[in-house]
Amino acid sequence: MHGIRGAIDRSAVVDDGAARRPRLLGTSSGRRRRVRTVGRLVLSCVSVAGLALVGVVAGATESLAAGASGSKAPLTVAMDVAFTGPTAIDGIAEAAGCYPAIRIINANGGILGHPVKCLAVDTRGDPSDAIPAVEKMLATTSGLIGVLGPESGTATATVPLVSKAHIPQISQNGLSLFDHNTNPYFWRNYPADDVGGVALAYWAHHMHLDRGALFFDNSVAAQGSVPALLRTYKKLGGKVVLHLSVAPDGTSYGAEIHQLIQAKPQVIFTESDPQTDATAFSNLLELGKPLPIYGTNATVIPAWLKAVTKAIGPANMAKYYRGVEPYAPAYPGTKAFNKALLASKSEVTTVKTWIGQEYATTPFDAVMDFALAATEAHSTDPATINKYIMAVTAPGKGKKVVYSYQAGVKALKAGKKIQYIGASGPQIFNKWHNAFGEYGVYKYVNGKLVLAGTISAAELAKAES
Amino acid sequence: MQSLVLYIGFGLVTASILCIGAIGFTLQFGISNLFNLAFGATMTLAAFIAYVCNAAGLSIWVALVLGTVAASLLSYLLNRGLFVPFKGRSSNLFAMIMVTLGVGLVIQYSIEGIWGATNFSYNMTQGSSEHFAGMVFTNTQLVVIGIAVAEAVVVHSLLRYTKLGKAMRAVAVNDRLARNCGIPVRRVVDATWLLSGALSGLAGVVLVMDVQVLNSNSGSDFLILIVAAAVVGGIGSPYGAMLGSLVIGIVGEISAGFVNAEFKDIAAFVILVAVLLLRPTGIISSVASAKEVAR
Repeated sequence: MHGIRGAIDRSAVVDDGAARRPRLLGTSSGRRRRVRTVGRLVLSCVSVAGLALVGVVAGATESLAAGASGSKAPLTVAMDVAFTGPTAIDGIAEAAGCYPAIRIINANGGILGHPVKCLAVDTRGDPSDAIPAVEKMLATTSGLIGVLGPESGTATATVPLVSKAHIPQISQNGLSLFDHNTNPYFWRNYPADDVGGVALAYWAHHMHLDRGALFFDNSVAAQGSVPALLRTYKKLGGKVVLHLSVAPDGTSYGAEIHQLIQAKPQVIFTESDPQTDATAFSNLLELGKPLPIYGTNATVIPAWLKAVTKAIGPANMAKYYRGVEPYAPAYPGTKAFNKALLASKSEVTTVKTWIGQEYATTPFDAVMDFALAATEAHSTDPATINKYIMAVTAPGKGKKVVYSYQAGVKALKAGKKIQYIGASGPQIFNKWHNAFGEYGVYKYVNGKLVLAGTISAAELAKAES
Repeated sequence: MQSLVLYIGFGLVTASILCIGAIGFTLQFGISNLFNLAFGATMTLAAFIAYVCNAAGLSIWVALVLGTVAASLLSYLLNRGLFVPFKGRSSNLFAMIMVTLGVGLVIQYSIEGIWGATNFSYNMTQGSSEHFAGMVFTNTQLVVIGIAVAEAVVVHSLLRYTKLGKAMRAVAVNDRLARNCGIPVRRVVDATWLLSGALSGLAGVVLVMDVQVLNSNSGSDFLILIVAAAVVGGIGSPYGAMLGSLVIGIVGEISAGFVNAEFKDIAAFVILVAVLLLRPTGIISSVASAKEVAR
């Protein structure tokens, strides 16, 4: 930068004993002003040139990348759940929703021309693993537009992190602490666990089973259903004769089951992982007393159903087991979901078991929500997308109801407002960003879930009130 | 009283599975001074080998043998290929524990990578329930108890009446002195790892036969109870492992029945802490004392 300082004759430094100042060649003030002006001009030119150079390089890099892929930069939907560990089933369910969704979206031009991909962010179901995984996701993932999850066990740890980054997340966790959520970036399109507890209590009362025992493992997720179950069951006139909370994955629950039998319940309410319930109900059979087993939606999954069927036999399973799950009859969008799901067998294990399953259709619809919100907002900025999620899912006068991504994009491009009703049905988010509907009661016959009854949203609301 | 006897019966089943595993675990510590945290993963791998064989049409009992053999070989190879070289570098006890922990995680995640994060079951039934002296067992549980008793008798006979057993006891107490006395220490160590590995495989397969569900965490989840049983009984002592297994298994069931279901595992660790406070080397302290453990 010597040139900018002008010509300085260092040989002309005058030592006056007080200060050393270099003496400029020529000492008139006008010359000094000219030097300063020229200096500033040169500095400005160099800065502009430098910025232009950076811009050119960046642009070239981006266009190189774009040129290499032949399209705009990809967008990412992250799946913030366990893909390994005891709750890895959550990851499979999210994948069963995400991959079919992006398959459909990419086949229809992507989101505003951007291709979309799914990113697995493995929490292992443990907050101590989830936090670094989510932090890494936030720091290193380009084009992140939304997050699916998290699951119940890690939600309290990771929701604040994602929200702080102003990224919308649509979760299927069931923690009741989100029932009155005020976080603008957190959404839930699956009923809370306690709604499942209400449904269980309602159905037991409906079947005149008014002496109940609880057998739940002591995990956060399982315990989420208990307060509402107890409250509703008692309100409807039921009596809780025993309430057991057990450590999961034991080798035997003989003592606990013996206590349970001694209490003479008419029904056992349960939520535990497959191994725990399989062991416990095997002990129940061992002690010779099969009983009606009513399970929350956590039991209406292939792993649990198979494990417990193995333990108590198909005949007992068909006769005694009932599971409750959010119920959505097949909507026009469900067919497209099933088709895309079957086409995603390289990304989703046990793909056929997720056909029509709420655990898979809700993350599927969540991805569609992100995509349609981005389309309406004409933006891939996640904070902006968040503002349009309600806009594309809420009913309203004059809105066009669409059942597919393609139809939604077409309507939005035509300047219309839309209500997207997806594979899991209408997502009517309340003021706390929670959406839930009616419940189905299922039995397990010959390896298949069969609908045994339904509980309407009004009945649930009445039972809970 | 009737309930107490019933709970003791349930506890005997848990104690049997614990006994098989704890003896294997404690033999490894006794002979190699190694707290092998990969033991649980070895159990899981054996259970999966048995699952593959069973799913291919073999009887569960043949699958049991094959799973046991596989675990035996794996344990031998791990010791020879990994643990011995690390010990040869004068790695301290903590470092060796970390090595075994790492190996265990590698095996566990490899299992998960191969078979996926889902549950499996063997093709077998539990059989009918049998009532015996106020206790209730399924046929499978009776077989599990029988296997545990037979295994304890075999280990006892080996240690008491065979040259190899005597050599194992000598090496466990003082390997240098044993070497100086002409005992082929390396061969004794190899034989012990083959035996203890077989026990880990056996424990893994009978565990899954009992709980009827297999996943990549099966052995690891059970390992903490095995360690508790081995330590309570006196680490390094097979007889201590047998005793520790009985204590942990039965007390756990009794506390679940009479106190609180959530206290089952807590009871095991309360016992562990209490025993270690009163008797730091465990109930039977011969090997631990000789190794100056817990001083």
